Parts: sequence; structure tokens; C-alpha cells
Amino acid sequence: MSRAHLARLIPRLGKRQAELEYGWMKRAAQAGSSVPLDEMVSRRVASEPLQYILGTQPFGSLSIKVRSPVLIPRPETEHWTIRLAELLRPTLDPARPLSVLDIGTGTGCIPLLLCRLLPPGTIRAHGIDISPAAVKLAEENASLCDFSEPASLTSPRNTFRPIQWSIRRHNFQPPLHTVTRMARQNLCGDGLDFYVEIAKFLQRTPGFLLPKTGILALEVGDGQADSVQTIFREIAQLKSEVWLDPWDKKRTVIARAE
Amino acid sequence: MLSSPSRTWVLSLHLLPARMAGLPLQLLFRSMYLRDHVSSFLKAWDEWVSTRETNALLDDPDLRSMAAADYSMLVDSLTEIVKTKFPAILVPPSRTAHLSALMELKSGVGGSEASLFVGEMLQMYLRLAQASRWKANVVASSELDSGGLRDAVVEFKGEGAYDSLRWESGVHRVQRVPATEQSGRVHTSTAAVVVLPLIEESDAQKEELYSMADIKLEVMRARGAGGQHVNKTESAVRVTHIPSGITVAMQDERSQHQNKRRAFQVLASRLMEAKLVREMEARRASRRNLVKSADRSDKIRTYNFAQERVTDHRIGLSLMNLSSVMEGDGLQDFVAALRRDHEESQMEEMLED
Repeated sequence: MSRAHLARLIPRLGKRQAELEYGWMKRAAQAGSSVPLDEMVSRRVASEPLQYILGTQPFGSLSIKVRSPVLIPRPETEHWTIRLAELLRPTLDPARPLSVLDIGTGTGCIPLLLCRLLPPGTIRAHGIDISPAAVKLAEENASLCDFSEPASLTSPRNTFRPIQWSIRRHNFQPPLHTVTRMARQNLCGDGLDFYVEIAKFLQRTPGFLLPKTGILALEVGDGQADSVQTIFREIAQLKSEVWLDPWDKKRTVIARAE
Repeated sequence: MLSSPSRTWVLSLHLLPARMAGLPLQLLFRSMYLRDHVSSFLKAWDEWVSTRETNALLDDPDLRSMAAADYSMLVDSLTEIVKTKFPAILVPPSRTAHLSALMELKSGVGGSEASLFVGEMLQMYLRLAQASRWKANVVASSELDSGGLRDAVVEFKGEGAYDSLRWESGVHRVQRVPATEQSGRVHTSTAAVVVLPLIEESDAQKEELYSMADIKLEVMRARGAGGQHVNKTESAVRVTHIPSGITVAMQDERSQHQNKRRAFQVLASRLMEAKLVREMEARRASRRNLVKSADRSDKIRTYNFAQERVTDHRIGLSLMNLSSVMEGDGLQDFVAALRRDHEESQMEEMLED
């Protein structure tokens, strides 16, 4: 049985990767996955991402539920989110929890990992997404990771709430007094429209990003970092630096209000 | 003769294992204060003292034989205490007593027969863990279609896990007729075991095992151009500790973060082991009896199925009950014997100082 499965996976994945992935499939099957092993193999052979087949992706110390068509959390994102948590850590004050807005939240992985990494009661996160499927999945993840609202009045905890909304809507109001923003890679147009939208939003909403302490973290595609820095300097007058990903690509633009 | 205490001690000394002969009396007496901490010792001591007080009885012809029997019984029990309890009392408490263990099992020569044996050894150690109340977790294993395991990595979490398992490191040899062998010929196969102290992140910092400045971290590049839609599962990482040249590659986990954590854990375990070996060598540097083979290529134990025999070559201990070692609690006898042997050799070192 195993041998037949591997024989089907190897031509598509190569021997080493096939063995690894088959091992994970078997582990998931043993752990009581609803998908039979045989079906997992067939779907993988048909090029379905392993994460959708298994239904989860580890993200930091969290296990994030994933489901098509919502995008799978990436290792680059995991990397800079952990670094961002370390950047925020010294500024935290349980008396005044940090407000986080994640634009295009998808599975909710970024705010959820911040909630996990930072001390209880220091983070109040919201995530917006135009996709109802993403918002629903992010809600499920918030509840699975135990960061759903409401915040407890008695014991401090971090919370995350996803909302279906678009940054392009003119009447966008911040759900809370927000100091930190995250946005992720654009997937359409020339790849930069989305960053221009965010920059314009910040321009017409002065004070949205708190002076000095507010941080805007933007994950960018390969080769976009310089253009994104320019966009935010010229439209929103933000100073920025660039973080490299584990493969030494310019991956994250970290901008601050003057 | 019987009333002379020092003669009695000398008598006991003759009964000690050869390696402990020449134990200075002074040291023995000096350590008497420890009796307060060891109830069996205290009891024997009290009996001894009270018997000493009734030594006069020995002059009474009627009571003499009874008193002499008592006397020899006491000498026996004291000797037993000196032999078995002394090393444990005198040897300083183990610095590694609190450490959990990380064990790697790898099939060696012998093809699928070796892999089958690795599978059986894994079960043997998991059973030991259960009996010892350690929490065992198989963190990686590669099963083979033909049965058995090519290799496996197991964490044993619990007090004393490392101290008990550390002497399992080395090559284990199995001699038996494989199930698939038609002609009934006995095959010899091997499995290699490596046991490292399992270091938690907090311990790694406390022990100052490495500094991040000395670490080179490499991540394997996913194939292709990447992008949001690419299914990236290539999460392998490689961690190199530049000063020691130790490299740990990890790919068994599904995320880079998990692989990185595990790689650092293994690195810390290897560095901790190297540190323990260094400390041991420094202690023994001046002695003729150098480190008792820490070489992992040494055959340490043979499991002979035809003879139902398990022999540990380092201490020359054979148990004629192989199934109890593989499937019962026989392994505990080896673990205890090796531990005792370690304590005795530590005691020996102390005496040489």
C-alpha cells in the first residue's frame, strides 16, 4: 500500500519530498483526519497543495486551519511576523493594549501569531478582508487559537476579530484607535496598486498611524521593496526600512510616522 | 582479634571489588557522617555498635557461637553496604540528573533485518520509558515498506532519563535467523544508538552553550520562482555552529519555524554532550584509565536470539533471558548495572585524587 502510494507521488514531487509529504499524510491519517490516505495521495498527485489536503499549516507555534480559496500562510510571513513581535515587545503596556489592523488578513495568521507571541492583554487585533470565505476562516482560526473576542474583563488576554471590509471604501473607519498596520502582497494589477491605496488612505486619514510609535509593516513581492518605499515616502511621508527574508530577499517594508 | 575495629575494616576491604582495594580507611571513616542520610546504613551501624558492646559475650563459652554468628552476619551486611551503597553515597550527585534524553536509533549493517531490529529496539526503549515514568515522544521515524524502521528519533522527558539512557550509546549487535532466511543461517546485523542530553531552550541559555554570533543558519530554497500560489513545503533548515563545526540539518517538520526550533534543540544537545565529555576528560586527563570508550563505533552489546542471551561487552554482564530484555523489564538490569559501574568508576577517580 505504502509503496504504491509513494510510486504515485514520486514522479510529481521527487523522491525526498514525496517521502516527507507521505510521512505527514500518514501522520495526519493516524491522527484521525477525515480524508482517507488514498484520497490524500490522489489529490496531491492532482497538484492540490498539501496544506489544503491536510487542512492545516503550522505558523510559528500555531496550527492554522487552511481551506481553498484562502491563501496558505507562507514561511516568509512567519519569519517577519516573529521579528515584528520582537520589535513590538519593548513598547507593550498592558494598561494600553496595542491596536493592530491586518489588511487582507486571509487565514488571520499574522494577528493570531502576534497574539500568541506577545504577553496576554497587550494586543487587540482586527483583520479586514474583502473575501467572506477568508473572514469566515479567520473567525474559525481565532476561535481555535483561543483569541476570539470578547476580551475578558477579569483576566487579560489578546484578541483578534476579523471583519469583512475593504480599504478602498471611502467610509472606512478604523474599528479602534489603531497604531499598527500590516498589509500583504498584492496579487493584481502591476502589483503596486494596493500599496498606493494604503498610502492614500493614510494620507486622507491623518493621525491614523500614531506619530512615533505607529508601525506599518508591508510584505512585498520580489523586487517591489524599493518602489513601495518610494510610494510611502511620497504619498504618506513615512520613513521606512526594509527587512530581508530568510533567503535574503527584500521582503518586508517597515514604515513609521515621523 | 574480634575486638579490634580496624582489623574488621581490613577484613571488609578484602571483600571489596578489586578496583576498590586500597580504599583508604580514613576516607571510609570520614564518610561515616553520611550514615545519617542513609537509613539502611544507620541501622546496620547501630546493630554493629550494639554487637560491639556485647563483645564480652564472646568470652562466654555458652554464648560464643551465637555471638559469632551474629558477628559474621553483621560483617556481611556491612560489606554489602560498602559495596553497593557506598559509591552512590560518596559520588557527588550527578550534574545531569535533571536532564531528559534525546535518542537516535539508526539501522546499521544487515539491511532490512537491521531495520526490523531498530523497530524492536524502539519498542524496548518505549517500554523502559513507561516503566520509568518518562514521557516518550517519537519525533521522527522513517518506516520501511519491508517492515521496521530505517531510523528514529525519540525524546524521553523526565527526571534521570539522560543518566539512565546515556550508556545505551553505541553499536548494538543482533545475531539471529531472520524471518525471511530460508536456510536457517544466523545473520549478524547492527543498530547504532546515540543518546544526547535533551536541552530545553532555557537550559541552553543557562549553560551558555553557544552564542548566536557563532551560528550560521541556512534555509533551503523552494523550487521555482515562488509566489502566493506556490505550495511551499520545502521547509528544511541547516544550522552550523562555526567554532565546533557541528552541523544539524532538519526537514522532518512541516514549517521552517518548527524545523529551526528542532535543529537548535539538537545543536544544543550535541554541544551539551561535547561539554560533558570535555569535563569528564579533564577530570581523567591525568589518569592511566582514560575515558571508558565514549566512541560511538564500539560494539557495546550483543543480542543473541539463538542462545536467548544478551551480553553487555563493557561490563561483561550477560543475561540469559533475551525476551525479558526485549519485551519485559530485563533492560532495567543493564541500565542499573551500567549506572552502578559508572558510579564505581567515579568513586575510583575520587580515590585517586
